[in-house]
Amino acid sequence: MEEIFQKIYDMTALGALIDQPQFLIMYALAFLLLYLGIKKEFEPLLLVPIAFGVLIANFPGGGMGVLAAVDQQVGDVVYHNAIRLADGSLWCNAEGIPYNIYEVGLPQIAHDLGIMNFLYYALIKSGLLPPIIFMGVGALTDFGPMLRNLKLAIFGAGAQFGIFAVLLVACNFFTMQEAGSLAIIGGADGPTAIFTTLKLAPHLLGPIAIAAYSYMALVPVIVPLVVKLTCSKKELSINMKEQDKLYPSKTEFKNIRALKIIFPIAVTTIVAIIVPDAVALVGMLMFGNLIKEIGANTSRIFDAASNAIMNSATIFLGLCVGATMTVDAFLNWTTIGIVTGGFFAFGFSIFGGIMLVKIMNLFSKKKINPLIGATGLSAVPMASRVANDIALKYDPRNHVLNYCMSSNVAGVIGSAVAAGILISFLGS
Amino acid sequence: MEGNVFEALKLMCIGLATVFTVLLIIIFLGKLLVRLVNKIAPEEEQPVAKNAPSAAVDANVANAIALAVQQLTGGKGKVEKIEKL
Repeated sequence: MEEIFQKIYDMTALGALIDQPQFLIMYALAFLLLYLGIKKEFEPLLLVPIAFGVLIANFPGGGMGVLAAVDQQVGDVVYHNAIRLADGSLWCNAEGIPYNIYEVGLPQIAHDLGIMNFLYYALIKSGLLPPIIFMGVGALTDFGPMLRNLKLAIFGAGAQFGIFAVLLVACNFFTMQEAGSLAIIGGADGPTAIFTTLKLAPHLLGPIAIAAYSYMALVPVIVPLVVKLTCSKKELSINMKEQDKLYPSKTEFKNIRALKIIFPIAVTTIVAIIVPDAVALVGMLMFGNLIKEIGANTSRIFDAASNAIMNSATIFLGLCVGATMTVDAFLNWTTIGIVTGGFFAFGFSIFGGIMLVKIMNLFSKKKINPLIGATGLSAVPMASRVANDIALKYDPRNHVLNYCMSSNVAGVIGSAVAAGILISFLGS
Repeated sequence: MEGNVFEALKLMCIGLATVFTVLLIIIFLGKLLVRLVNKIAPEEEQPVAKNAPSAAVDANVANAIALAVQQLTGGKGKVEKIEKL
């Protein structure tokens, strides 16, 4: 009888949980993220799958945690991209030689390491899903506000300051590749952060994705905080429509539809020539946008890109990223460094955009509301909505949403270009 | 470590310069495209019917706004004027 109870006890995860109570911290984190996603509605489409991924990855014996590939030295021999199993041993072939995960077929990964590792190495580690999601983002993006206010797009560059400012500090505590992955959080773009991290420091994927999406969800808190610290009431009261009336634009649009179709093709070509490493992201973003703008003739693939494909990609991205956050990968000082550094990257990006507006206002008759600089980071369209709400507090007639969308959308391109530069210079 | 800081500083200069350059090119490209499209493919203007209703807001939209206000204010609020900003 006792033997039967012992077997039942061994079958459950209770023994392992008593031996390693740190798993409970991961459950608490998963529950917290689920609460934020479900109850507080913080980016629920991403936080809920990520949180659930964290939860299912941390049940001992469940085999749902993603196992990171590491270079492992055994004696004098270094085995590249070896996998350390949950029991501490290396994943080896029949001769006892550790596998290189990239030389193993996907069916064997699914068989030996479980379905979550199969999904991770097939969809995430291959770099497939972030560009797919960018295609969906492009299909949901309207470049109209940017084309109507082209000059404001430059703030999408100013707001990349946080990325490089944090890189400068983080390189003292991390390797250059890790610092680059951390810094890209300042781009405020989840898929970009994941894509860059996969290329530079894949072992940090979990904490970086969590930090990026959490701070994106906290845009309604962080943007007002930085704006309050850096802008005066007078600056925030600058009414953009009145400025337009005082200094009207000479540009007229005779065929905005044709313009919107040509624009993504032209941008892809230019970016591809200047920063080829950014093409995976920018190219897919613009492709998604192109099939949207063509209209009825491509409506079926537009529908697939913006709904079915994007939604499926979001599910697998969220679950797999969450599943990388196992006890060993998450509970360490590096994670705390990433969370702290990510916050500063985010804050400095908003600061960079605001400062660029202030500098331009010094030299221009036509004044610009600094909120338009603050939205130069990505986080479309939440950053613009938050900025619009702030502007309305100071002047109930000052609707800046369309102006903010210009810098906001430019920020998506800007952060993808910044990612391309980091990958190009720091990637192996 | 000092080498890392130097490399990061170099990357900062190159990175920011490239991002600014790309977006500046996109801005000028956008302006160029606007001109080209205006010149080559201006959309034919739709003739406006003389007797077209001149109301600023369509009746269906006005009804929808009135219903939304009624629901949000629990029937206390009413729409007096709808103005395009």
